[in-house]
Amino acid sequence: MRFAAALLFCATTASAQVPRMGTHPDLTGVWQGGSTTPGPWEEANGGSGVGGTGRNPNAPAVLSSNDRPAGREGAPYQDWAAKKVLESFNKRGIDDPTAQCLPGGIPRSVTLGLFPQQFVQTPTQVVMLYEYMNVFRVIPFASKHPDDILPSYMGNAIGRWDGDTLVVDSIGFNDKTWLAGTGTFHSEDLHIVERFTRVSKDRINYEVTMEDPKVLTKPWKLTSSLMLREGTHLDEYICAENNLDPGRYEQLLKAGVKITR
Amino acid sequence: MLALILVALLHHSFGAEYDVNSPITLTGTLTAIEWTNPHTHFYLDVKDASGKVVNWKFEGYNPSVLIRTGWKRNVTMKVGDTITVFGWRARDGGNWAHSREITLPDGKKMFFGPPAGTGDGGAQPAVEVK
Repeated sequence: MRFAAALLFCATTASAQVPRMGTHPDLTGVWQGGSTTPGPWEEANGGSGVGGTGRNPNAPAVLSSNDRPAGREGAPYQDWAAKKVLESFNKRGIDDPTAQCLPGGIPRSVTLGLFPQQFVQTPTQVVMLYEYMNVFRVIPFASKHPDDILPSYMGNAIGRWDGDTLVVDSIGFNDKTWLAGTGTFHSEDLHIVERFTRVSKDRINYEVTMEDPKVLTKPWKLTSSLMLREGTHLDEYICAENNLDPGRYEQLLKAGVKITR
Repeated sequence: MLALILVALLHHSFGAEYDVNSPITLTGTLTAIEWTNPHTHFYLDVKDASGKVVNWKFEGYNPSVLIRTGWKRNVTMKVGDTITVFGWRARDGGNWAHSREITLPDGKKMFFGPPAGTGDGGAQPAVEVK
């Protein structure tokens, strides 16, 4: 009883610390995806994984967004589509759109942890800025997508509130991004619903459901979290500046170097 | 069905370009640093066994990741410094490698690039293999 009361107290205290804009939570801030560790960037990234300083060997290692975390079920691709995903895996992801400096798309841009993202909320819209590839989403609070959507990398997004959860509904994607892992392609019929719930000052719980009847057998659902990084700012990331990798892949293949698994 | 995604992201595949079975540690003099996206590079003059100087090229994180993990541009390491680099060689066997840990002139060690194997699909594919 005392434990339950303490838990309730903690939960109430955490939600009481969530900044609000009018009657809704305010998600404004600079965030790091794929993390559960609070604190400033350098301190929270002390592990030995990608982007970690290695100063805290006990900190959890961060995986690459191309990797499937241990324990995660296989993505529900139709058989023909699963074979295509596997082809990309077997050639070690050299067909990754981001190797050509193309945008990471959704949900990849949200769940990646190496680069920060910034949310700017107003009463009429939420703007999401991504350092990685310098892309953005302007998400109006609206009940309907426009009629004249051109397919795009980041999709057409509209937002609404479900209680204290921001629900972002996106359609209008092109078919040139990966969802969550090497080779996880999709069609232009992709429909994504994201749920952002700021459960404390420091943390947003993120849940994403991807539907694509052309390539998936059922909706694909994943969860992650975003952590507040006070003191961090977004930098430029002009990927085309000195992108040597596509040329390197070509050279290696020409030289007969075996890069498949 | 629900699973926590713990992810960072790299711009390209480690495994396509670099060989995890060819680790290398070299000490030499820093001749240039390129603070560019999507990757930084630096160049090191290294004496080979016969005393001949060979210039090696190393790839690292992009500039913003380095700054956020404690590096200061042209302060933490500068052209002319003698440093030791641990990393993995390019698959084509050239004088090109992926940098991981740098030992600075004062003995301090810092990561300049990610661990081996990032960005190339990980241990298992995103789909079940039938």
